[in-house]
Amino acid sequence: MRRPCVHVGFVFVQVALFAIFSVADEPQVPVSAKGLSPKEVALEIDRQILAELQKAAVQVAQTCSDEDFLRRVTLDITGQLPSPQDVIAFRQNTDSKKRDVLIDKLVDSSEFGLNWARYWRDVIYFRATEQRSRFNQEEFTAWMAVQWNQGTGWNSTVTAMLTASGNVEEHPETALIFAQGAIAEDVTAEACRVFLGIQLQCANCHDHPSDIWKREQFHQLAAYFPRITERRVMKGTPEYEIVSVNTENKQGDFMRDNPEMFIRAFDRDNDQKLSMKELEAGPKRIGRRIPATLKDGKSEGDNVEMQNEGMKEAKASAGRLPAKAIERLFAFGDTNKDELLTVEEIKAAQPPVNRRRGSTEHHMVDLKHPDSPGAIVDPKFFVSGETLPRGQSDEERRMAVAKSFTSPENPWFARAIVNRVWAEMLGEGFYMPVDDIGPTREARYPAVLDLICQNFVANGLNPKWLVRTIANTEAYQRKIQSRPASENDLPFASATPVPLRSDVVFNSLAQVFGVTEAEMNGRTVKAGDKKEAKDKPRAFLQSPRFLFDALFGIDPSIPKDDVMGNIPQSLMMMNSRVFRARMSARGNTQLSRILGEHKDNRDALRELHLLVLAREPSTEEIKICSDYIAEVKDRPEAFEDMMWSLLNSSEFISRR
Amino acid sequence: MTEFSWHENVAFDRQSVSRRRFLYGASAVAAAGAVNFRDVMSVRADELRKQGRAMILLFMQGGPSQFETFDPKPGTENGGPTTAISTTAPGIHIAEGWEKTAQQMKDIAIIRSMTTKEGEHLRAAYQMHTGYIPSGSVKHPSLGSCIAKELAITDRELPSVVTIGDRGANGSGAGFLGVDYEPFQISGRNVGAVPDNVGPIVGEKRFTRRQGLLDKLEGEFAARGGDTVVNNHRRIYDKSAKLVLSPMTKTFDLSLETAETKERYGNSEFGKGCLLARRLIEAGVTFVEVRMNGWDSHQDVFDGVKGLAGKCDPALSALIADLKDRGLFDKTLVMWTGEFGRTPKINPRTGRDHWPRNFNALLAGGGIQGGQVIGETAKDGMGIVNDPVNIPDLFSTICKSLDVNPAKENMSPIGRPLKIVDGGKPVTKLFG
Repeated sequence: MRRPCVHVGFVFVQVALFAIFSVADEPQVPVSAKGLSPKEVALEIDRQILAELQKAAVQVAQTCSDEDFLRRVTLDITGQLPSPQDVIAFRQNTDSKKRDVLIDKLVDSSEFGLNWARYWRDVIYFRATEQRSRFNQEEFTAWMAVQWNQGTGWNSTVTAMLTASGNVEEHPETALIFAQGAIAEDVTAEACRVFLGIQLQCANCHDHPSDIWKREQFHQLAAYFPRITERRVMKGTPEYEIVSVNTENKQGDFMRDNPEMFIRAFDRDNDQKLSMKELEAGPKRIGRRIPATLKDGKSEGDNVEMQNEGMKEAKASAGRLPAKAIERLFAFGDTNKDELLTVEEIKAAQPPVNRRRGSTEHHMVDLKHPDSPGAIVDPKFFVSGETLPRGQSDEERRMAVAKSFTSPENPWFARAIVNRVWAEMLGEGFYMPVDDIGPTREARYPAVLDLICQNFVANGLNPKWLVRTIANTEAYQRKIQSRPASENDLPFASATPVPLRSDVVFNSLAQVFGVTEAEMNGRTVKAGDKKEAKDKPRAFLQSPRFLFDALFGIDPSIPKDDVMGNIPQSLMMMNSRVFRARMSARGNTQLSRILGEHKDNRDALRELHLLVLAREPSTEEIKICSDYIAEVKDRPEAFEDMMWSLLNSSEFISRR
Repeated sequence: MTEFSWHENVAFDRQSVSRRRFLYGASAVAAAGAVNFRDVMSVRADELRKQGRAMILLFMQGGPSQFETFDPKPGTENGGPTTAISTTAPGIHIAEGWEKTAQQMKDIAIIRSMTTKEGEHLRAAYQMHTGYIPSGSVKHPSLGSCIAKELAITDRELPSVVTIGDRGANGSGAGFLGVDYEPFQISGRNVGAVPDNVGPIVGEKRFTRRQGLLDKLEGEFAARGGDTVVNNHRRIYDKSAKLVLSPMTKTFDLSLETAETKERYGNSEFGKGCLLARRLIEAGVTFVEVRMNGWDSHQDVFDGVKGLAGKCDPALSALIADLKDRGLFDKTLVMWTGEFGRTPKINPRTGRDHWPRNFNALLAGGGIQGGQVIGETAKDGMGIVNDPVNIPDLFSTICKSLDVNPAKENMSPIGRPLKIVDGGKPVTKLFG
């Protein structure tokens, strides 16, 4: 089902109409050209969702408790666990707006950007085709954190990522391109999947079997990216950069693209033809006369600047040709065998094209002749039909595609990120999976999604606005509930308990143990090894966070329901020696402190629950634990076991 | 203890998954098709699982030189100083340094005409493990994971896929098949001992007591709406706990082998890895990969490979002999290969560079007719003269040996069906 792009004004009319026809005592939603505030949009979202749920007679869960809200919103927005003090203070706070205030505070904390930057790090690197692309993941995370903390519009952030060039560590916005080895087809598929939520890549090799996409549309999009390439820079340690290749690095390609200039460069007898001798003698001295020559020979519509560039290139690369190349050139090109090459002959000569990397135009492989380069395809954006003529520079192409991607006229750009952030915070999106949306997929609550998108765009695509809006909805703040029995039930009637991301579990563990990130080391995960460390001396590759991620990392693009724990994870949580030491009732540990401060078992229990689960224990839990202490007859040992149980509980690694 | 299943994806509460698949869009149709297909297949699949077929992949990371292993060209410029030795299979000569393997040649088939187009390590390793070209949008499962999905018996205590050796082979994971078929990794250095975190560090009695407490405490979260999460978590923890307490963990412990056996495999990391592979296969594991590093011989290829062969030759030959002695050979396919071969031309540093155009693979066991060579390369080693074998052909051959249907489709997360092997024909000559 294709929905037309809804314009901003339309939504305001919709909202205004809604306000008119709704019950009189409901507040009027103010309409402003700047877009609505998070709170205003949240109210409208909830009204629409509730209306649909009531129409479908779905039972709606109550608002969650303050304890649950505090843990949920702190984990979701900052990736941190609230401390026992936070829990107590929030409960005692009598301000009726305390939840709104808390949301604002969290969104304005620096952890907000870092937490979401780590989410994007996982989105991008989980699908990296080259492992070395992890090289710049720390720099990328830091860069993305700044974008989110500054409230940079998502359009600007994505534009930066699509147009990025340079050393991958100095320019971490190259992340997505680097992760795909700067290969046009792979970058295209990923950019489309991540930023538009559309899976176009099946159309790389055939028309999409279950979608409307044609092979040509995929290759037209890839035609924006043929001039990027990845280059290894040799300094003591290998470094990489993303560069534009606007002329073929081979003599042959420059020659074919600019036959007149090529002939002029060597044509000593000025007969507009090249003999073998002329080629062997090398280029004429091209010095001060060039501009004049260029001016004289300039054909209509040519760009002087480009030609100058081209001439510099000619000068640089048109040195003496190797004898073999000259031989080949004549074998290829001299079709009438007069031992002279003409402009026409050079134009017609078609030596093999390097179609993998650094080709100046995109070629769509003819599937019947996979070894031939295939026909050149020109850039065209499949959503809007915008095109770009052949021969544009890499910079022009990528600016153009970034503009098309992020255009307010392209509804999928806003929908993709709104759907992603919503799904990350509520455990389920309007579309699922989050990277397979598009015109042939059907959204749940499509009007709500469009409402958010329009106001998100009106608010400058500021991610802070988006997270604030979602956190402010009643839909977000509902109690968790068991899965609905029927598969047809509408989502968002209750909160969904879903597994926490690796970084969030890692942060929570460090917090519970009362240690810094670096102190989380030890033999927790046997991931990296010395050999790799020698090859890739990026220190973070050996960091506890990275190693933990190797075991607990989950691809954020797959639905939370598909995320299952696995055995190596549970083995580590159960049996890690490092964790065991951190849970000891003796020595400099949190548990030892709690037991020392609280002689009463109930008080100690309460403190332990607050620390690990950020909530008070229930009466039933107090009874279970008290019975356990009595059974074990050894206070420190019993408490170690209790702490172990709480850390190994499903609740600790889930959002509730 | 016996009811422990490593990959029990059907038993998990996946109602939400089907909910998604059936509600949203076109992929539902494809997904539903797969479900039906699986139902049809299940009877045959059960039979397959009973046959206990298995595979060991010996992966020579870096790309071994074909000249210095199983396609020597003595007396030619490209062949270098490497000489050839005869083997127990009349007429088949291999490179010096592989004397023990030569003794087993009657049971080994050499493919000298392996060919691919990819000369970059990571991408080539990905292809040699998955059969597919890497793509950002789909994480292809490794052939090993696909095989385990078809063949592994689900009520074993050990994982069905194990990889031994350093991390780094691209594409050796389960991809979109998910954690159930993700290889259990044992780093090369840790071979021989029970893996980290598998032993109950607080003692079995206290471990069991803690488990009981955890189980009771989980009730609260389950009652508050987390029951689905709690149930899944409980299943994984039960399985993990059973592994922790299982006598099967001794499989990882090489100290239970005799000194003589260990000697036979050689005392190298790779030799230990091969011995562990045999123990794991014997204990019911379906797919084991043992990786050996150091084959990227850009310089000093002759001395380099001599050193590597000194470790690889005893391990490879002992593995084949040992599998035979234990009656496992016919059911277990052993494959030796790397991601590509090396240039015929010897470079100025007496090395050889990347050369995907022709390289070697060895196959043994699993119904493979040993003592034969498939394919022939040019006298100067610069290409294949006859019978080229590409990766899909090789994978189809593996599937034939293990009685796995290579056209079986697995469904990617976006509902795109992907065959275990895309195209290719089995090399029929290998099956006598």
